[in-house]
Amino acid sequence: MKHLFTTALVASMALGASFAPVHAQTEEVNVVLFGMPYTNGLQDLADQFEEDTGIRANIEVIGQDVFENRITLTFTGGSDDIDVVHAPVIQVQRWIQAGWLQPMTEYVAAMPGADDILAGPLNAYVVDGENWAVPFMAGAGLMTYRQDVLDEAGLAVPETWEEMLEVAAAIHTDDRAAIGLRAVPGQGFNMFIFPMIMRAYGGNFFADYEGGDLTPAINSPENLEALNVYIELINEYAPQGAGNFNFAEVLAAAQNDQIAFAVEGTGVVSRIVDPDLSQYAGVTGIALPPGGPAGRSPAIAVHGLGIPTSAANPDAAARFIEWAVSVDTVTQIALNEAFPDFTTGPVADNPEVIAKYADVHPDFLAMRVQALDLAIGHYRPLIPDWPSLGQAVGENINAAVNGLMSPEDALEAAEQEMRDILGLY
Amino acid sequence: MAFSSTRRQRGATYEIQRGYRRMIIPALVAVSVFAIVPLAGMFGLAFSDYHLIRGSEGRFGFHNFVRLISDGRLMGSVYVMAILSIFGVVAQVLIGTAVAVGLQKIVGRWRMGRVLFLVPYAVPHVAVALIWLSLFTPTLSPINAFFDIFGITVPSFLTTQNGAMFAIVVADTWTNFPFSMLIILAALQGISPDLDEAAALDGATRIKTFFYITLPLLMPALLMITLFRFIDSLKHFPMIFVITKGGPGRSTQATNFYAYVQTFQNSNVAYGAAIAVTLFLMAALISFYVAKLNQRVSS
Repeated sequence: MKHLFTTALVASMALGASFAPVHAQTEEVNVVLFGMPYTNGLQDLADQFEEDTGIRANIEVIGQDVFENRITLTFTGGSDDIDVVHAPVIQVQRWIQAGWLQPMTEYVAAMPGADDILAGPLNAYVVDGENWAVPFMAGAGLMTYRQDVLDEAGLAVPETWEEMLEVAAAIHTDDRAAIGLRAVPGQGFNMFIFPMIMRAYGGNFFADYEGGDLTPAINSPENLEALNVYIELINEYAPQGAGNFNFAEVLAAAQNDQIAFAVEGTGVVSRIVDPDLSQYAGVTGIALPPGGPAGRSPAIAVHGLGIPTSAANPDAAARFIEWAVSVDTVTQIALNEAFPDFTTGPVADNPEVIAKYADVHPDFLAMRVQALDLAIGHYRPLIPDWPSLGQAVGENINAAVNGLMSPEDALEAAEQEMRDILGLY
Repeated sequence: MAFSSTRRQRGATYEIQRGYRRMIIPALVAVSVFAIVPLAGMFGLAFSDYHLIRGSEGRFGFHNFVRLISDGRLMGSVYVMAILSIFGVVAQVLIGTAVAVGLQKIVGRWRMGRVLFLVPYAVPHVAVALIWLSLFTPTLSPINAFFDIFGITVPSFLTTQNGAMFAIVVADTWTNFPFSMLIILAALQGISPDLDEAAALDGATRIKTFFYITLPLLMPALLMITLFRFIDSLKHFPMIFVITKGGPGRSTQATNFYAYVQTFQNSNVAYGAAIAVTLFLMAALISFYVAKLNQRVSS
């Protein structure tokens, strides 16, 4: 009886299966991004992409720290589980040389909204005449300052790093430090900040980057002068423990009245001056980062979306990218998130977007445009070895900041390591 | 007839043993696929010249190991690893033992309180690292804020090598001491209370009883914990990655972290694999020595 029942059950399931409705397999695109306001906003709109195109977007947003390891393992393993990848411009040259990205020139040419993308960030992804990614954001370095603190001291906003040292000496107290800067070692951490000072003093990473001479020049007198300023600011005028600060600590210090000045990327700056996020936003002003004898050089960070060589579905990936950087999608993200760094030009003309960021701070969008105008595309060199070089220089500079070696020795060690990495013995 | 019966018995034993042997086949396949194959791949890479970006020129030999000998950063990383491992493991075993001895005395409903001590072990390492990063960052730390009220400045730990290593050891100890505690607690429960009573009858104090009776009986468990924790401590990564990023400078880059830097940041996969192979051999050597020691203590 028991056997009979089992047989009947199995038979009914088998019969049922043959009449079960068969769903058409949905086309899918797998997207791997790291966390930032734009990518979080994009993830929230994933269903909209499916409604518009019938393609399901599986958007995975992971921490920046683990992102690089994850995609390196995927790319080297030749796995086809990523169709669209977050492509920071400083990584792209390395990925191209390794053969991990596929050219997007034809896709970009066919994109209806290609002309809406700002030319500077779009061209940052042109290597050997080919487009390798499409930008979605361009962050720039800006400075925030506490107007009430400066007013109390009767001081003006410093225009140069030299003036910054003088102002910092005048306003620094035990209760509120003068300035907060990223110092933790890493090509995306202290090496996002230090080059702003380095280039203001006329320093460079190479003898003649634009002329093609990539002989390291990190131990130049200009760079030494800049490093001394950076060390003095962190050790004399930043909060206790600033030698290990990253952007999160700088942001928290600014929001908690622990620092008067911060020099940061626009993503962090937008949070420092947002009245909803900081009770000191009303007395905080925005300015360009200080300059020096060689002028001003705000930091720039461009991020885009690319298609890996191993992508299983490159056509669907291209459609996703087209949608992700479209005026409609980017406008929604700019309104839903703290995302003023868009590179889709017409979004800046949207009255709601203008009103939103004017409410955050009246000068914000204007200062961002000024900073982007001043920034040089190769703020951090666009070469395949930059991630290794930036890491090596960043670690030595952090060692000097924390007193583990003299500034001279740190730059000498960085110079030697750059030569080793580049194979220049 | 007797011969035939013996053969039948032998045959039955053989069949049973063959059955047992077949049962370990899935485990052998799993170990081969998930441990031996990757290990063989790592050894193969260590002898190659494979670079993530530039590919390979086909060199195969000991060149990576020759380079290791003169690599000052590797020596520095071994020193960092040794300090982190020794201080971390000693702290975990001592605290674990002390807590286990204390918890063993607790009876009745309060025994459920033991679960509380397991909480740190259940928290993911990255979350633990983030908690301790906040606690060691002066501008975020409630500890600093508390002492500030009394005008006392707590030193900044993460900007000096010793301070940063201390921070990593503290975070590592906090999350891993419950493992030692669990094993010691189990070992303590295996010790007959008659021994304690006999010692008490002979006039031994509690301290003497602990050091002369309990502790020697715990020795195999202590050695086992030390071995497990030591091998695990050689793989220091999340705490360093989140709390110090290897800094200040490179002063907290333990060997495992250095292998990561070479592999992922410098794209030197072959050299990173050579570092990993060296680390593996070191762990194997230490395990072998501790296992022998354990055998001697047990016998």
